[in-house]
Amino acid sequence: MEWFNDIYVFVAKVFQNLGVGFVEVFKLQSVTLWGYTLNNLPFNIIMCLIGVLLGTLIGVLPGIGPVATIAMLLPVTFTLSPVAALIMLAGIYYGAQYGGSTTAILVNLPGESSSVVTCLDGYQMARQGRAGPALAVAALGSFFAGCVSTLIVAMFAPPLAEVALKFGPAEYFSLMVLGLVSAVVLAHGSLIKAISMVILGLLLGLVGTDVNSGVLRFAFGVSELADGIGFVTVAMGMFGIAEIIGNLEQKEHREVFTSKVGSLWPSKEDWKRVWAPTLRGTALGSALGILPGGGALLASFGAYTLEKKISKYSHEFGKGAIEGVAAPESANNAGAQTSFIPLLTLGIPSNAVMALMIGAMMIQGIAPGPQVMTERPQLFWGMIASMWVGNLMLVVLNLPLIGMWIKLLTVPYRILYPSILVFMSVGVFSISNQPFDCFLMALFGLLGYVCVKLECEPAPLILGFILGPLMEENLRRAMLLSRGDPTVFVDPVAKPISFSFLLVSAILLVVIALPALRKTRDEAFAAEEQT
Amino acid sequence: MQIKNPKDFWAGLMFFVFGAAFVVIAVGTPDFINRIWGDKLIPGYQIGSAVRMGPAYFPVVLGGLLAVLGAIIFFRSFVSHIVGAAAAVKLPFNIIDLAIAAGVFVVTTFVAKALGISNDYAMLGSALILSVLSIVFRPETKALVLILASGLAFAYLLKPLGLVIASIAVVFISAYGGHEFKWKEVAILALVLVIFSVLVFVKGLTLPFPICPDFVESCPIR
Repeated sequence: MEWFNDIYVFVAKVFQNLGVGFVEVFKLQSVTLWGYTLNNLPFNIIMCLIGVLLGTLIGVLPGIGPVATIAMLLPVTFTLSPVAALIMLAGIYYGAQYGGSTTAILVNLPGESSSVVTCLDGYQMARQGRAGPALAVAALGSFFAGCVSTLIVAMFAPPLAEVALKFGPAEYFSLMVLGLVSAVVLAHGSLIKAISMVILGLLLGLVGTDVNSGVLRFAFGVSELADGIGFVTVAMGMFGIAEIIGNLEQKEHREVFTSKVGSLWPSKEDWKRVWAPTLRGTALGSALGILPGGGALLASFGAYTLEKKISKYSHEFGKGAIEGVAAPESANNAGAQTSFIPLLTLGIPSNAVMALMIGAMMIQGIAPGPQVMTERPQLFWGMIASMWVGNLMLVVLNLPLIGMWIKLLTVPYRILYPSILVFMSVGVFSISNQPFDCFLMALFGLLGYVCVKLECEPAPLILGFILGPLMEENLRRAMLLSRGDPTVFVDPVAKPISFSFLLVSAILLVVIALPALRKTRDEAFAAEEQT
Repeated sequence: MQIKNPKDFWAGLMFFVFGAAFVVIAVGTPDFINRIWGDKLIPGYQIGSAVRMGPAYFPVVLGGLLAVLGAIIFFRSFVSHIVGAAAAVKLPFNIIDLAIAAGVFVVTTFVAKALGISNDYAMLGSALILSVLSIVFRPETKALVLILASGLAFAYLLKPLGLVIASIAVVFISAYGGHEFKWKEVAILALVLVIFSVLVFVKGLTLPFPICPDFVESCPIR
């Protein structure tokens, strides 16, 4: 009966830890705002609500995503406690997954990039007058996926963090290589261009003072570059500015099905059809979210493709199949939440949003990594518990209050983008109170715009940019420890973990370069091009 | 030789230039150029060894790799199977326009230095010159140039003229880059955003931004 005991201890520990988290989330605090002190305020819950509200808002609005929003809010989080700050920022990310589906279904525009595939069937359902059930299935599927994936994070984060504590510089370096390779493999279009973007990102990450020698690198005598290029600056330029310019080049056309939402509740037949796709979407999304380079976007694509292949209603896909809404919407929420696992256990970001979360932790003076769980259990578990609370809030926000968000969709883009620009400029300027950061933001906006036009995806560059200094640091340490012997990374006996990371990276690269598989990868991405 | 895939051609060139630039700056200029120049043109950083890597080691490896990949993409563009509309670059400006834009920044910087005024004016001047050039000669770049210019305007107007004027500038410049520009609508939007920014960013979040211009002795909003 030893195994029974093991399971019992494991489950008990999960609940014990979640208990710590819930205590933290519901804690009553005294908060001073504008000189007024408020006592007995459940401040963390309020921040969670603000986060999911903002997340839904930017999710609903096309043209602004969680990356730009979190980047804008980073300087603001400085005034908050670490727990409150991270709870709010996390809420924005998974809240955006809920909001994105509303726009996809009602306007046929992805409010969020991870809702691209929801447009295919969700909009068709809306045209058939079944927008209500589509919205309900999307929200309830997301809620189910959110609950399950929170439990997955709570179960798998502690053992992973324990393994990660044993990692040396060689393991970290190889893990980052794996992360970058995954980002390349999952990028759209040309493989070699994606690799080039990663390397360019790594190089740009090296600008600034070299920590080992104190030499100022690639700064051209500009004193503002001594601390390196700010990540927020790059993210806002490449994602925020470049996206606005791209949107302005297209003519605005929107057809909103506002009056035809009708009854929200799905029929008995609908329920029968969606439960299995929701389960599959949750499972696939949770798995894909953990992968470095993964997250919500990949999860929704994967789930839609899978569902289309195995569903017995596959002939209805693209014509308003409810499975085509349920599967990707539950998958993107699951993926958004499990992508916190690599961040919380290894301190390595799996996508641009997670990279910003690292930034938020550093602002608060927390070094991301496996030690966070043992050194700051309140922060770690509070954040995980808040996801549960946040998901519950989101269902309430998105189903009974759906009318409010639909009204927002009638706001034209020509009102939105100048506002976004003002907020971005304020956010970037406030990082170091220097005009130079805004100049850099514009420069990266131009680079991002050109890259998109040349079919080079910006996401791998951002990941490389974050990992550049970390990789160099770990490479140097590993080589110093091995006395210059490069085989330390691929020694299957002495460093089995590092060896297997690099092996998987190599296999991934070879597999993706094979012509047969390249074709299926292109087809999977082609689905997006059509929308 | 005919360029079959312009997208690859320019992407390859871009990566090659970036990679080569990082390598050259890291290792410094070769001896024969230094001899002609009389001094070290680009000093470079220490390479070090595999055991103790210097500041140049990692950038040289990565930069070299990027240059090689760039070259491969570049040469691939001559034999590419992807041709026609799928390979066409849909950029509203060409490389000469880009060079002119960079030139404007260089010239204004020198002018500012010669006049002994702050480089901030050079930046503002460049943004203004490029906006006018874009509207007059390259209307298809209007969105791009005006959005970027609005960011620069905010950056370099904030300290001397304060948050109110800087925000108004962003709204008007960027709105002018859009499809339709309605004076009344933009003015109302600017007003709302100014009130919001002052209340939330300066009063609420206490960001250290000036609200009014330098020269206004007593600012009505403190």
